[in-house]
Amino acid sequence: MKKLPAVASFASFLVVLSAAALGVRAADLKIAELKIGAPAPDFTLPNASDGKAVALKDLLAKDKAVAVVFVATKCPVSNAYNTRMAALGKEYAAKGIPLVGINSNKTEPAAEVKQHAEKHGFTFPVLKDEGNKVADAYGASHTPEVFVLDAKGNVIYHGRIDENQDDPKNVKSPDLRNALDAVLAGKPVPTARTKAFGCSIKRV
Amino acid sequence: MRFALRLLSAAAVLAVLAVLARPAAGELVKLVKPEQYRSRVVAAKKGRVVLVNFWATWCEPCREEMPALVAAAKGFPVKDVAVALVSTDSLKKTPDVQKFLASQKIPFVCWQAKSTDPQRFIEAVDKTWNGVVPYTLVYDRKGELAARLLGPQTEQSFAEAVRKALVAGP
Repeated sequence: MKKLPAVASFASFLVVLSAAALGVRAADLKIAELKIGAPAPDFTLPNASDGKAVALKDLLAKDKAVAVVFVATKCPVSNAYNTRMAALGKEYAAKGIPLVGINSNKTEPAAEVKQHAEKHGFTFPVLKDEGNKVADAYGASHTPEVFVLDAKGNVIYHGRIDENQDDPKNVKSPDLRNALDAVLAGKPVPTARTKAFGCSIKRV
Repeated sequence: MRFALRLLSAAAVLAVLAVLARPAAGELVKLVKPEQYRSRVVAAKKGRVVLVNFWATWCEPCREEMPALVAAAKGFPVKDVAVALVSTDSLKKTPDVQKFLASQKIPFVCWQAKSTDPQRFIEAVDKTWNGVVPYTLVYDRKGELAARLLGPQTEQSFAEAVRKALVAGP
């Protein structure tokens, strides 16, 4: 068991080394992704709609799981999922898994986030992450990008909502829904990691 | 007089040919499936260094860095370096891609990812890529990956990555 951290640090050393050899700039390496199974950092952020603080640990204390979704107001890919996010938010909150939106884009102020959430009928809170601190802590890079946390606060799913941004009726791989259904059924998440796609988070 | 007529008709034929040879509006963008990426976008230019820039019309930093790529490419020796764009826009947006390329007079071949599942395309291109654009890959003359450029680049950083790939090659 003790060997693991050494192996892991050697592996990350190799990654840094090969990244350096390939000309990746140091600034791009600083965002480390939260791994599946890892404990998700706690956060307390203001709800963009009313300014009230929402704490992750409070949600985890009473719910079966929490789906944290990094969203945007201007990104066309994130916007392609508005209707789906609103529907998923309603459906799974009723089943004990709330959705929590986080807007980390420096280009999208709280007032705009509030207006956007109202316009698209989001019943889940969208929190404003000033200075993209939570996005950095989670290693989120896209909108939309989802992290599902179990009741203990560990990451059990990370990635996209589904594979088809264009056509909600033709989705073949509803990855977020599969993850949430697995939690409700007390089963392991079938595909814990997918690649999110969309716009980059506009960091400070 | 006869000579002048012949010259005139030859010129007319040439003019018609030139019009025909010009790509139609619909051909500004060529679709590429995940499994075709290596062979069509990269290997087809074998012997040359290939710079592939991944972008999307909705991606502001991508649109902003495009002039830097155009400027850098002016310094690339054509016989040694090829530049290709790959749009990750959804297939519904092909007209927007074409409109952008035409309005900005972008002189590069542009492919568009053809996959109902973006993850398949991302992984076919580069397993270490998280899919964020802009993203630029530079391949050496043998088609081996020589550089990954994450995020927006400058004329200098594009030029530097290509220069290194050229030097590294045979």
